[in-house]
Amino acid sequence: MTLAEDNGPERGGDDLFAAEYVLGVLPVEERQIASRRIDTETDFARLVDGWEVHLSPLAAAYAEVEPPASVKAAVDRRLFASTAATSAEARAGLWSSLAFWRGLAVAAVAALALYVAVPYVNRPAEQPQARLVASLAADGSDVKYLAVYDSERHDVSLSHVSGTLASGKDFELWMIEGKNAPVSMGVIPAGATAHIGVSPATQQKLAQGAVLAVSLEPAGGSPTGQPTGPVVAAGDLKGI
Amino acid sequence: MTPQDITKLIVRTSMKDRAAFDLLYRQTSAKLFGVCLRVLNDRGDAEEALQEVFVKIWTKADRFAVSDLSPISWLVAIARNHAIDRVRARRKPAADIDAALDVADPAPGPEAMVVAGDESERIHHCLEELEKDRAAAVRGAYLKGESYAELAERHGVPLNTMRTWLRRSLMKLRECLER
Repeated sequence: MTLAEDNGPERGGDDLFAAEYVLGVLPVEERQIASRRIDTETDFARLVDGWEVHLSPLAAAYAEVEPPASVKAAVDRRLFASTAATSAEARAGLWSSLAFWRGLAVAAVAALALYVAVPYVNRPAEQPQARLVASLAADGSDVKYLAVYDSERHDVSLSHVSGTLASGKDFELWMIEGKNAPVSMGVIPAGATAHIGVSPATQQKLAQGAVLAVSLEPAGGSPTGQPTGPVVAAGDLKGI
Repeated sequence: MTPQDITKLIVRTSMKDRAAFDLLYRQTSAKLFGVCLRVLNDRGDAEEALQEVFVKIWTKADRFAVSDLSPISWLVAIARNHAIDRVRARRKPAADIDAALDVADPAPGPEAMVVAGDESERIHHCLEELEKDRAAAVRGAYLKGESYAELAERHGVPLNTMRTWLRRSLMKLRECLER
């Protein structure tokens, strides 16, 4: 039995290439090709992910070795050294200000902590939080949305804060609950504000604080039912 | 930390929560450093690689949502792939034998196999269906990130023979894993 007879040359070739990439045996040029394909071809990325899953138990053999403290200090320097230099962002206004988004997150976490601390939490029948808010943003992307979920009206309202959409593309909204596959909530209508209705199955998960994410998709939305483009913004819903 | 806890830390990291990122580092950096050290076989190189790996984790944490991997496996995959890219870009393999002796044997001990649980049985079972030296080549390639060129040299066969050899092993593995 040859591979070509078994699965057709195309699938076999790509699948083997994915396996070789995951195993780590490819020369540098071919690794670069594979890595580009992972970023641009969803099908190929899935094959790679599948092999990573198959082979991941082998990683149990890696011993744990404590790294020196200097490594984390260097990571922080590289990522956060310029955090203080937010004056340019402040000038760009409240909506694009990092401090504002951080502050919003802190306020949301504080509100959540307060909510959790309230003893009524043991009675899930009571849903005092009619509205949940999420600021959706992602590193390396200028797309920002503010999402407010109104559990009484079963509606997510989205304010398009920043980021432009290329022609022939759409933003699609997803709900992610834990490790489950993202569930599409629909293509986000164009405009500064948009409303998306929420199905009963999704309502409960949103109330429990699922993550909302926005991905870039072909016009009309993902053809596969799963995100095919990059996630350009994400955030979790928290009580106001 | 349970896998669910690590998942939460990754999701919170994707939302640029520094406290979550710090905790994620504390919980996982030893494992990821072990990965970098094993592949790169040089402490200084591994330290630099680990830095880059955590910079990647901070910037790409949102991608975790579309992967089928368990959270720790996802992190290990980032570290492994980064370390392999780095070692491949390097001209000659480092001759740092001491660092190599510091780390564990490629074949997982019985404890590691038990800890890894059900899922791992499948790959270990499938590797056992291969001839011994081929299974060892697959394990070694995975853990050390050895290239076709290095494997060919070590086994004393031409590069193309090595590639055919390993591809055949991978096809057999796939057939067994999908059974």
